[in-house]
Amino acid sequence: MNKAMDNTSIQVSSVGIKFFLRSGPGKEDDGRRKSTKSWFSRRKKKEFWALRDISFEARKGEIFGIVGSNGAGKSTLLKVIAGIYPATQGEIRAEGKIAPLIELGAAFNPELTGAENIYLTGSIYRIPRRVIRENFGEIVSFSGLRKFINIPVKNYSSGMFIRLAFSIIIFFQPDIVLIDEVFSVGDEVFQKKSFEKILSFQRQGATILLVTHDANLITQICDRALILSQGQMSFLGPAEEAVAHYHQLIKSAEGLEADSRLPQQPPPPAEAKRWGTKQVEIKSVDFVDEEGRAKKNFISGGYFEAQISYISRLGREERPIFGVSMSTIYKLLIYGPNTLEAGLPRKIPPEGVVRFIVPHLPLLEGDYLFSAAVYDESLQTAYDHHEMMHHFRVIPSGSREIGSVRIRSEWKIEHA
Amino acid sequence: MKRYYQQIVDYRELLWNLVGTELKLRYRNSILGFLWTILNPLFFLLILAVVFSRIIKFQMDNYMIFLFSGLTSWLMIQQTVLIATGSIVNNQGLIKKVYVPKILFPLSNVLARFIDHLVLTVILFGFMLYFHMDFTWNLLLIPAVVLMLFFFSLGLSLIASVSYIRIRDVQNILSIAFQAFFYLTPILYPLEVLPASFQKVFLLNPFYYFIQSFRFPIYSAQFPPGRIFWVALGLTVIVFFTGLGIFYKREKYFVFNLS
Repeated sequence: MNKAMDNTSIQVSSVGIKFFLRSGPGKEDDGRRKSTKSWFSRRKKKEFWALRDISFEARKGEIFGIVGSNGAGKSTLLKVIAGIYPATQGEIRAEGKIAPLIELGAAFNPELTGAENIYLTGSIYRIPRRVIRENFGEIVSFSGLRKFINIPVKNYSSGMFIRLAFSIIIFFQPDIVLIDEVFSVGDEVFQKKSFEKILSFQRQGATILLVTHDANLITQICDRALILSQGQMSFLGPAEEAVAHYHQLIKSAEGLEADSRLPQQPPPPAEAKRWGTKQVEIKSVDFVDEEGRAKKNFISGGYFEAQISYISRLGREERPIFGVSMSTIYKLLIYGPNTLEAGLPRKIPPEGVVRFIVPHLPLLEGDYLFSAAVYDESLQTAYDHHEMMHHFRVIPSGSREIGSVRIRSEWKIEHA
Repeated sequence: MKRYYQQIVDYRELLWNLVGTELKLRYRNSILGFLWTILNPLFFLLILAVVFSRIIKFQMDNYMIFLFSGLTSWLMIQQTVLIATGSIVNNQGLIKKVYVPKILFPLSNVLARFIDHLVLTVILFGFMLYFHMDFTWNLLLIPAVVLMLFFFSLGLSLIASVSYIRIRDVQNILSIAFQAFFYLTPILYPLEVLPASFQKVFLLNPFYYFIQSFRFPIYSAQFPPGRIFWVALGLTVIVFFTGLGIFYKREKYFVFNLS
C-alpha cells in the first residue's frame, strides 16, 4: 500500500443506489375489489436509480465539494456515505468517526429538554457520556441557549433547534464531516462561528464533504469538487474547473428548455402584498430573455427583461406611471425606477405590455424579489401595486466578487 | 449475531438513553409516575381475583399467587410485544435521517418493559411472603425463565416490528390474538379444569410452556414437570433466532419501506 492510499479517508467506488417508487393504492383499483392474491402480492414498483456509478476519493484534510442542481442526488450521496441508505452497488470505505451534519436535530426527542437531548444526541453519534459531561457547559454556551436548556425542545424555534444540534456534534473530534447546506440556517453570527469551527477540524486533518448548490462557496473553500447531474458524475476535479463546468451545465439546461424543467418557484414571501384601485390592473409579470422566452434564472451581466402586462380602464387622457423595484430576499431595496423619472409619462393603450429592460444585469448571484406597480401621474393613487410578489434568481457566474450589485469600478496601485 | 453484539456494545450508551427516555417520558406530568407501572397490573390482578374467587367461586389454594405468577409472565410477553411492534415505525424519523443500528429500537422497548416486569416480580415475591408460600431452591429457576421470556419476547418483537413496517394491520391482529390467547392459555385457571381431550389441544399453545415454567417454582415449589421447561427453552431458541434472522435480512431496506 503506498503513501497516497494511506492518506485517503473516504473511498467511494462505483456506487449506485436504486429506489423503488411504490405506487400507493392507486385510482385504478377503485370500484374493483382486490382479490386476496393481489392483496398480498407486491404492488407495482418503479425502479429509479438515484445515483449511478459514482467513484471518488477524498483525502485527509481536504475539503471536497459536491455540487449539483436540485434532485441531482447530492444529499442521497451524503446519506449513503453516512450509512443511512445502503448502496445497491459498489462500495464505500470511510475511515474514522463521521460527523454527519445532515438533517440537524433529527435525533432530538421533542418531549425531552435541551439538556436531556444533548446526552441523547451525543449517544447517537457515539460521543462518550464522559466527553459530553466535560463539555456540557461549553456546548450550552456555544449554542447560546443557556436560558432554555431545561425546557422541552418541542418549544424551541427551528433556529434554536439547529443551533443546539450543531453545538453537540462539533464537540467531538470527527475524522470526516458531512455537511449538507446547513449553513443556510441560523443567524449570520452563528453561521460564521460554526464555519470557523468546521475549518478548524480540517486543519486538524479531518476530511470535509460539502454538499451545496452554491458555486461560490465551492471556489472559496473547496480543493476539489464533484458535479452531479441526474444521479451521475458529470465532472470531478479542481474546484475552479468544476465550477466552470457547473455553469456550463446550468446554461445548457437553461438555454435549451428555458424554465420548463425547473421545479416550481419558492412560494412568495410573506411580505408579498397587493393593493390598488385596479383602474389599471397588472395581469402578469414575466421575466424573459432576449428572445422573449420566459425564464426565472439569469446570468450576472447578461440580458434581463421584465414584461408587465396590464389592462387599463382609465380615460384616454390619463397618463399612469409604471414602476418596478428589485430587492434582496432580505427585503433590502436595491433599485426602484419608474417611467416618470425616465421621462415617459404618457397615454397608454387600454391593453398592453410594459417592458423593463436591463441589457447588462449588474446583480450578483442570489435570489431577488421583484415588485411592479402602476400609479396615477401624481403618484398619489395606487392603481395596482404588486409588492415583492415576483421572484427571479441570478445564477453563479464563477466570479469571486461578493455582494448583491456590481458597481462599476477600477483598481489602481501606485507608488506612495 | 456477532454484528449485533458489536453494535450493542458500541451503542450501549444510546441503548440506555433510549430505555431511560421511554421510562422517563411515559409518566412525565403524572403524579404517581412510575408507580403506575405497578399499580396498573396490580389492580388488574385484584379485579380478576375478586371476579374469579368471590363471584365465580373458583376453589383453589392461594389463588392470588397462582393468578399473580401467571399474569406476570403473561404480561412480560404480551405488553412487550405489543409495544415493540411499533418500534421501527415510530422511530422512522431517526432511521431516515441518522445512522443508528436499528436493532436498538426493538431492544430498548423490550428492555424498558422488562424493567417494569422485574419490579412486578419482586412484588410477587412480597406476596409469596405474605401468603406464607414455600421458598425452595427451585426459585433459582426464575431468573432463567425470565431470561427465556426476554429472548422469546424479543424474537417475537423483532418479527412483529419488521412485518409492521409493510403491513400496518399487524398491530391490530396481534392485539386481538393476544386477547384470545389470554383466555386460551391457562392463566386464570389451571389446565386440569378442562376436559382431557381439550387439554391436548391446549398443549399446542406455545405460551402455555412459558407460563407454566414461571409458575411451577413459585406456586408449586417444584421444577416444572415433564418437558415443560425444555419445550419453552426450545421455543425461545427457535423464535429468537428466527426473529434475528428476519431482522438481519430486512433491516437494510427499512429506510426504503418506511413512509
